[in-house]
Amino acid sequence: MAWSIPQLQSARSISLRYGLAVVSVALALAPGLVLQHYKFHSVELPLFLFAVAITAWQAGAGPAVLSILLSSLCLDYFFLEPLYSFDFTVADIPSIIVLIAFAALIVWFSSIRRRIERQLRQARDQLQLEVQERTQQASLLNLTHDTIFVRDPSDVITYWNRGAQELYGWTPEQAVGKRSHELLRTVFPAPLDEINAELVQTGRWEGELTHTKADGSGVVVASRWSLRRDQQERPAAIMETNNDITSRKHREEEIRALNHELAKRSTELEATNKELEAFAYSVSHDLRAPLRHMVGYAELLRKRASSVLDDKSQRYMTIILESASRMGNLIDDLLAFSRIGRVETQKTPVNLDQLVKEVLNELRQETDGRDIVWKIDTLPVCHGDRSMLRLVFSNLLSNAVKFTRARPRAEIQVGCTAGEKGEVTVFVRDNGAGFDMKYVNKLFGVFQRLHQPDAFEGTGIGLATVQRIIHRHGGTVRADGAVDQGATFYFSVPKL
Amino acid sequence: MVEDDPRDVELTLTALEEYNLANEVVVTHDGAEALDYLNCRAEFSTRSSENPAVILLDLKLPKVDGLEVLQQIKSDPKLRMIPVVVLTSSREEKDMVASYQLGVNAYVVKPVDFHEFVNAIRELGVFWAVINVPPPGSSRK
Repeated sequence: MAWSIPQLQSARSISLRYGLAVVSVALALAPGLVLQHYKFHSVELPLFLFAVAITAWQAGAGPAVLSILLSSLCLDYFFLEPLYSFDFTVADIPSIIVLIAFAALIVWFSSIRRRIERQLRQARDQLQLEVQERTQQASLLNLTHDTIFVRDPSDVITYWNRGAQELYGWTPEQAVGKRSHELLRTVFPAPLDEINAELVQTGRWEGELTHTKADGSGVVVASRWSLRRDQQERPAAIMETNNDITSRKHREEEIRALNHELAKRSTELEATNKELEAFAYSVSHDLRAPLRHMVGYAELLRKRASSVLDDKSQRYMTIILESASRMGNLIDDLLAFSRIGRVETQKTPVNLDQLVKEVLNELRQETDGRDIVWKIDTLPVCHGDRSMLRLVFSNLLSNAVKFTRARPRAEIQVGCTAGEKGEVTVFVRDNGAGFDMKYVNKLFGVFQRLHQPDAFEGTGIGLATVQRIIHRHGGTVRADGAVDQGATFYFSVPKL
Repeated sequence: MVEDDPRDVELTLTALEEYNLANEVVVTHDGAEALDYLNCRAEFSTRSSENPAVILLDLKLPKVDGLEVLQQIKSDPKLRMIPVVVLTSSREEKDMVASYQLGVNAYVVKPVDFHEFVNAIRELGVFWAVINVPPPGSSRK
């Protein structure tokens, strides 16, 4: 009968309900009349009670009232003295009352029942919704590729998602029911008791575990455990989420090994640097002393024996002294060159305009009395070591001055062009002796010269120094020239 | 003068002689000897106790190093006042820095060119022995 109730209670079934009231009374009346004919009495009331009961139970309070009304009318009319009239005596009232009371009782039962039914239905619907939600959630857990499994407090696996299967190779059928630590042959970073204690205390645990897959291979995972408690606050289930970090661990190992290697190299380099410093120091000090003696005693000799020495001997003396002096210059230049590699650069903003002015001032001795046309563009401020960049200009400008000596009017130009990103290219151009482009690669070599010492003096280390300094700043050097048509030297420095 | 190389000694004395400044130059050949002299110890216990007007100090010395001698001089209240001129081949920055930090009065790098050397010695000699007034307690001859 349950399915008929919602139908009967909808608005358009009001007619059905009230119809039922009428029909049931009629159905009760008919047998009553028949039985009356056959002289069976006292059965009408129960029959009408029956009709009222059915109506009240099925159709609700309204129709019940209608059926009570109809029943009492019928009862009065057909069965109560005087028959076939609506009069009734006081003696009939108890029957009516019983009818009404009985109906009320039935209606009351019915409403209780209906309420219970409604509650049950609601509960069922809610349960259905919850089950649906849960199933969806559970299927989500299965959708993810992350490894998730659940186990009970005695470590027996109760849920094993697809991600777990993908990682470990065990299917849910194989995994559920097994003890997780045995199945995966877990290696813990700390004693299991400590881990479990922390889990129970805080409800979570995080750490790295080593597991063995179904095929026997090992895997390192970053594992997070969550503890779920039941309503009595006792541990009910542990959810474990694992992430495969085996490759990450390998990479970390590699990085660690590389760092170790780096540290070793770095120490070695420092040692080498220290050796170089000691070497340079030795050169600076110990090589100079005998040189000074050579020069000193040669001069003393020349002074003492000037009267005795003939021209040739004098010339030999002079050559001895000049050679010694040249050696002194070489030592100084070599030391300066080596210092560039030894000393740490101090990068600051450097005003190149100012630097050029300072260097020109220094060169005054060489430029006095000469006809030199200087064309100096505005140079930007750059980022580098001031004293080293000064050396660059010093070398390039003094070279320009030196190699234009043969020209009646020397033209020296200093300018800049835009370089690569974050760099500026500076150039020094002269109209001097120039060089053959065939030998451009030799230009920047240490002690490389393309001219006879008689034509142009020099140790041949100036350009090598320039190159070394610019390389230390991360820039490049370049040269352009033609014999007797001047030369241009380019170098790049970081812009500020 | 504290100088271990006899050739350097000879060159310097020769240069000083040219300007009649070689009169009263005491030469010690290593750091220990220098300190003994200054403190009137050992073989110098019988000398007159005046301080020299100036000390020409080389840095590379056997036994006790030049910088150590400098440090001892500048930390001894009796000797601290004596002007010290470091006369060395080394142009290394760390030597300069160390010397100045210890309170050296002058730092001269011996030039390779002999003429320059002679000039430098002369100027040094004239300044310290003639122009400069030596601290009290030093000999002036």
